[in-house]
Amino acid sequence: MADPASVTDRTGAPQDAVAPEPAPRPLLPGVIGSRSAGLLAAATLVLIGGFFAWQAALLDLGQIGLPGPGFFPLALAVLLVVFAAVIAIEGWLSSSKDEPLEFGHVQVLISFAALLVVPFLFELVGAYITLGLMSAVLLVFIARVSVLLAIPCSAIGMAACWYLFGELLGVRLPMGPF
Amino acid sequence: MTGFEQLVRGFSVALSWKGLLYCFIGCLWGTVVGVLPGLGPLAGMTLLLPLTFGLDPTIGIIMLTGIFYGAMYGGSTTSILVRIPGEAASVVTCIDGYEMARQGRAGPALMISAVGSFIGGTVSVLGLMFIAPPLAKLMIAIGPSVEVVLMLLALFVISIVSAGSRIKTATMVVLGLLLGTIGLDNLTGAPRFTFGSPELSGGLSFAALAIGLFGLSEILLNLEKTETIKAIQPKLRDLIPRWNDVRDSAPAIGRGSVIGFIFGIIPGVSHVVSTFVSYAVEKRLSKHPEQFGKGAIAGVAGPETANNAVTGTAMIPLLALGIPSIPATALLLSALTIHGVQPGPLLLTDRPDVFWGLVASMYIGNVILLTLNLPLVGIFVNLLRIPYQWLVVAILVISIIGVYSVNSSVIDIWIMVVSGGVGYLLRKLGYEMAPLLLALVLGDRLESSFRLALTMSGGNYATFLDSASVVVLGSALGLLLLIQGLAWMFGYRKSITDEAERA
Repeated sequence: MADPASVTDRTGAPQDAVAPEPAPRPLLPGVIGSRSAGLLAAATLVLIGGFFAWQAALLDLGQIGLPGPGFFPLALAVLLVVFAAVIAIEGWLSSSKDEPLEFGHVQVLISFAALLVVPFLFELVGAYITLGLMSAVLLVFIARVSVLLAIPCSAIGMAACWYLFGELLGVRLPMGPF
Repeated sequence: MTGFEQLVRGFSVALSWKGLLYCFIGCLWGTVVGVLPGLGPLAGMTLLLPLTFGLDPTIGIIMLTGIFYGAMYGGSTTSILVRIPGEAASVVTCIDGYEMARQGRAGPALMISAVGSFIGGTVSVLGLMFIAPPLAKLMIAIGPSVEVVLMLLALFVISIVSAGSRIKTATMVVLGLLLGTIGLDNLTGAPRFTFGSPELSGGLSFAALAIGLFGLSEILLNLEKTETIKAIQPKLRDLIPRWNDVRDSAPAIGRGSVIGFIFGIIPGVSHVVSTFVSYAVEKRLSKHPEQFGKGAIAGVAGPETANNAVTGTAMIPLLALGIPSIPATALLLSALTIHGVQPGPLLLTDRPDVFWGLVASMYIGNVILLTLNLPLVGIFVNLLRIPYQWLVVAILVISIIGVYSVNSSVIDIWIMVVSGGVGYLLRKLGYEMAPLLLALVLGDRLESSFRLALTMSGGNYATFLDSASVVVLGSALGLLLLIQGLAWMFGYRKSITDEAERA
């Protein structure tokens, strides 16, 4: 017979040891309705299409029978604008309920912010230091690990990465000033 | 050299110590990423892509393909034991698989699922072996105009078979094609949308976009969830199914093989759709449809066989035509190109070692997976005990290193991060990412073939309607309509919404 055994929650804490934690509160709960968000996304796509169309129009369009490098992107950009406009109109006329969409989840925002910093520092201070810092920050703020544990864990992780990628696989990563 | 001789030669590559080792690594890693929610075959393949750079192309592709079909095997484990699909194609398995596990029958569910996966996978490799070579020969005989027609057809089908909003899917296809135009123009060398950046001359990195749009956005979405995981641990001695189980699942495995094989041809979400269709078929043909949803073994056997039968078939358009049909094969296309191997009709004549080595390795890989999955099921389930947030940190670090190592460019990390954020927002709004990636991969070739065909015909658009094109288009469209008709007849669209909600 199979027996129900380990019970863990999504945060990894064993359920028999710790009661399930309540879901972290979003920073900006229900700040935007699904219909408004849909319209905003469609408007952004229209803008992207418009930008590409403008840039493509600056290229050589060629002739209808012998298209130049700008022809294909221009046609696609116009199509993108048209499709996005249809989505926007559909969303506008839709009778579906405007349910709130949560975009401000704490863990998502912290993770994304940490990721945004990585490209700035990657070559400046070196790959391993940057990724080590990112790991430590995420372990502290996402995994709720103490700083004293997060720092050695990140250091060990980076040493493992250096050995695996740098030594075994020969992947060359920027070392920064060192 | 005959096909049989080439297959024997393929086995000599696949059975070499390197072939076996990397096939094993691929299958093992594929199973792991299949087990872990939030990591699918695409992310798994991208993460190990840098590992292949120093390898012979055949060995590298053997490993990456092993990850692809290994993930299909692994996805069923968590569906059955935890009720969390490790992979999108395993959603249906949650319904009856988890019910069986709750009734103390996790062992037979896992065993039948593994055997079905093995049979489905093997049938599809047979199909790949017999269909790809003649199809490639046919493709050599036809020109760029037919290529354009075929690629347009693939993109059209992606738009119509999507489970979500068709206009949103079509928008993603157009956006993917548009992003594919970034970089130097293939025919004239003119820079397009590069804004003077030499890093963008080669176009947007597919690996960075794939990791961002699929992997990173999935991680961000998963961070919002806090559901409880209840894992059921089966014992090895409970794996042997009863005679009734074998009797009920054997026809389902047979039908699942056929359904998966046929649906593998459809671009887009074929592996997912095939499982829903298989489930609907089994439910409709069953003498006891009321048992479905309450632990019917045919509801596990059929879909699991179907999603593995897709893997070999999905390789046919990639290897014979150079046209990927699902994101995972799009990444394989990218990987082959990095290794200097161009998939398509000439692959079988120029690099038969790659094609036949891969075919042989898929037979071996299926055997490895069958023997690997059952004894190690306890270890794989224990992976779920690792706190998800710890996994996130590890996945992000490996992803960043993997993405950077492809071109040694920080721009690629930017692309990954930004596309991850955009993917997260778009997915929350109901846009699908797979069509965008497929269009991105096809875009470059579509435009080149389109302009080449026009140049060859002196600017005559009728070239796209010449006799060969019409025959190809007509037969492909007829086949697709037939499949689509069958799918609708068995109500897969309704199944997708109904069953996904239940799962």
